Amino acid sequence: MKLRKVSAIILATVLAVGTILTGCGGKDSSTTSDGKKNLSVFIFANDHESPIYKGMIEQWQKDHEDTIGNVDVQITTQDEYSKTLTGMMTAQKLPDIFYVGPESVQQFVENGYIENLQPLLDKQGISTDDLVAKEALNSYRYDGEKVGEGDLYALPKDASVFAYAYNKDLFDKEGIPYPDPENPYTYDEFVEVCKKFTKDTDGDGEVDQWGCGLANAFMVQQYIWSNGATFLSDDYKTVEIDKPEFKEALQKYIDLTVTHKVTPTVEQDASLGVYQRWLAGQEAFYACGTWDVAAFMDKETFPFNWDLCAYPTLSTGKSMTWLGTVGFCVSANSKNKEEAAELVSYLCANEDGQKELSGVVGGQSIQLPNLASLAEGEFRTAIESGDLPFPSNVDVFFNYLSGNDKYEGRFQETTYTPNAEWFDEFTANLDNVKNGSMTVDEFVKEYQPKMQEALDNAWDSVE
Amino acid sequence: MSGGNTKPVKKKMNKAEFKEHCWGLTFVAPAFIGFCIFMAFPIAFAFVASLTKWNGMNNMLDNFIGLANYTKLLTDAKFWKVLVNTIIYMVGIPIGMILGLLIAVAMNRKIRGIKVLRTLYYVPVVSSLVAVAILWMWVFNYDYGLLNSIVKLISGAHGPNWLGDEFWVKISMIIFMVWKGLGSSIILYLSGLQGIPRDYYEAAQIDGASGWNLFRYITVPLVSPVTFYLLITGLIGGFQVFVEVLVMVPTGGLNYSAATVVFYLYDKAFGSNQMGYGSAMAFLLAILIFIVTAINFKGQDKWVKTIE
Repeated sequence: MKLRKVSAIILATVLAVGTILTGCGGKDSSTTSDGKKNLSVFIFANDHESPIYKGMIEQWQKDHEDTIGNVDVQITTQDEYSKTLTGMMTAQKLPDIFYVGPESVQQFVENGYIENLQPLLDKQGISTDDLVAKEALNSYRYDGEKVGEGDLYALPKDASVFAYAYNKDLFDKEGIPYPDPENPYTYDEFVEVCKKFTKDTDGDGEVDQWGCGLANAFMVQQYIWSNGATFLSDDYKTVEIDKPEFKEALQKYIDLTVTHKVTPTVEQDASLGVYQRWLAGQEAFYACGTWDVAAFMDKETFPFNWDLCAYPTLSTGKSMTWLGTVGFCVSANSKNKEEAAELVSYLCANEDGQKELSGVVGGQSIQLPNLASLAEGEFRTAIESGDLPFPSNVDVFFNYLSGNDKYEGRFQETTYTPNAEWFDEFTANLDNVKNGSMTVDEFVKEYQPKMQEALDNAWDSVE
Repeated sequence: MSGGNTKPVKKKMNKAEFKEHCWGLTFVAPAFIGFCIFMAFPIAFAFVASLTKWNGMNNMLDNFIGLANYTKLLTDAKFWKVLVNTIIYMVGIPIGMILGLLIAVAMNRKIRGIKVLRTLYYVPVVSSLVAVAILWMWVFNYDYGLLNSIVKLISGAHGPNWLGDEFWVKISMIIFMVWKGLGSSIILYLSGLQGIPRDYYEAAQIDGASGWNLFRYITVPLVSPVTFYLLITGLIGGFQVFVEVLVMVPTGGLNYSAATVVFYLYDKAFGSNQMGYGSAMAFLLAILIFIVTAINFKGQDKWVKTIE
């Protein structure tokens, strides 16, 4: 009897206390008992990236053993990242270091979440001159009014581009000369090349090899921009998909599927995505992000020879693509800002770290090197010598990244709007045109107002 | 427990009663505290958030806008669209109940291997929703799917683009949801059937009732409490359909044809950082569920029979 009573009390207390305690943290964890500084880091990474980051941070911690206590690293997936971060903001428990995208810099600064890095970098004498991607770097500047100018609020973890790739083996099989990375195809040339690839290879009456694959959400911008059109007005407040140059570019994009039939149909896309078809060797051209290289170089994933080339050009004659970046920032509430800034600069600009991330050491490239000296030096040597498996036309990446008269990379327009709903409205419904049930004109007429409404809502939500 | 129809009289508790009272409270406390933290607080929080232009980053209370989110919702065509979608999916509830009852009746006999059969029907219920949704994506696949292979075998023509078509995507989701829920309706109906005394049937048979009449006048009314339970939980669950859509049609379908209310509010709150607007939708949904459930409870006297 007694025992039962006692265990009942224990059970009830444990349950009650347990319920109360969840959610309550408390206690200052910014320093250890012997006065060393603790840091917390929250980032997203793929499975093969995590160990590299963890290793880099461990190394840094070892190098600063006398001042740094613990560095707590939390890694999540890209999908989960922003939700978790929002939760941390709401709970006012931001880690010392976390990721910020250029699209969030202004809001994070204005709401007091991130610290101005400039004074900290200046004080420690950390220079950003050697960073390769100036546009990515500048996207973390904010002067209180305009993004792109003023002090740095984050340092780019990386700068990535979404270049074009072609399946060399397919070119060999069909006896078609490789594309020239110095001279991008015009749209018409591209169509002609693609037509040669599109065929029924096993004689069952159905096409099973195509020129290219197109995914609306990330492969339509190349066509629009190359025709001198944009989705939004310069102030990012008006949807301008009804401009003639936009409609013309969109028509050409659609024509690849509907008129020239050099891509899988909407139904075929539904059964096997364009990415899977590329990996299965069914498409001659497909996009390759800098983050895809490691997978595409792996013969298990992609058992074909391939290389980089440029997207076809429309009326501007310039091959376009979009750039991406994510940066490390320091929480405005961090108790150890100087140490955090130091770790950030280490992660972004330390030569040893960059060697590992870019694959100069280790032979697996997760990203392009951040440092110009490394990019032009050892990185290239490692590719040429074959130590680092990488497509030989690596310059395509750098051309898009730094821009020249034939190449240009730019940020997606969603980078400059409070959310991407207006753009999703476009990409998710474009299949209406791609499957032939709507014309470009009808589509623009129906969705321009819907996109505008979503955009207005987006701006309204931050006013 | 004594009847609840006597009015409680407040009187001083003696020591033993007080002790028991404390024990009672202690045991209720964990559940109650849990309810406050994980249910009551979030609901209150969502209501406050729904009155603001909170985007997850700005200060919630500085952006108070009153009922503006609610008035905007009423004129939001997309919201009505997802609400209609959600209600269309509920077609699956009666289908699931009828199938569940029929299969339960068929299973309520002594056949060899009946236990194996019952277990098989229950497998979908205990399987991970995400995992089986991915599995069903392959069943519905346009070129390689099981369903279209069968369609082609029977009719010779290519079947529909199940998940890519505005009409068929709804049918696909209903099929999936019925399949996923069937096991639990069968089990519940089975237990209901086994609770019906044999003599009812025997008495009716002596009076000359046919098989159909036995089913119509004895079985159906006497399992009505189970039917009621399934209806209520089905409706509440139906309003909250989310994961199925997120996994099988992550963009919400062509022209948002597959999206549900919860999918839309998730998209608004976490996709476009309009937490306030999302909260308003969540709160409206809670009210809607409350009303539908209340109507159901009110109406149950008319058709729910209990065995006394």
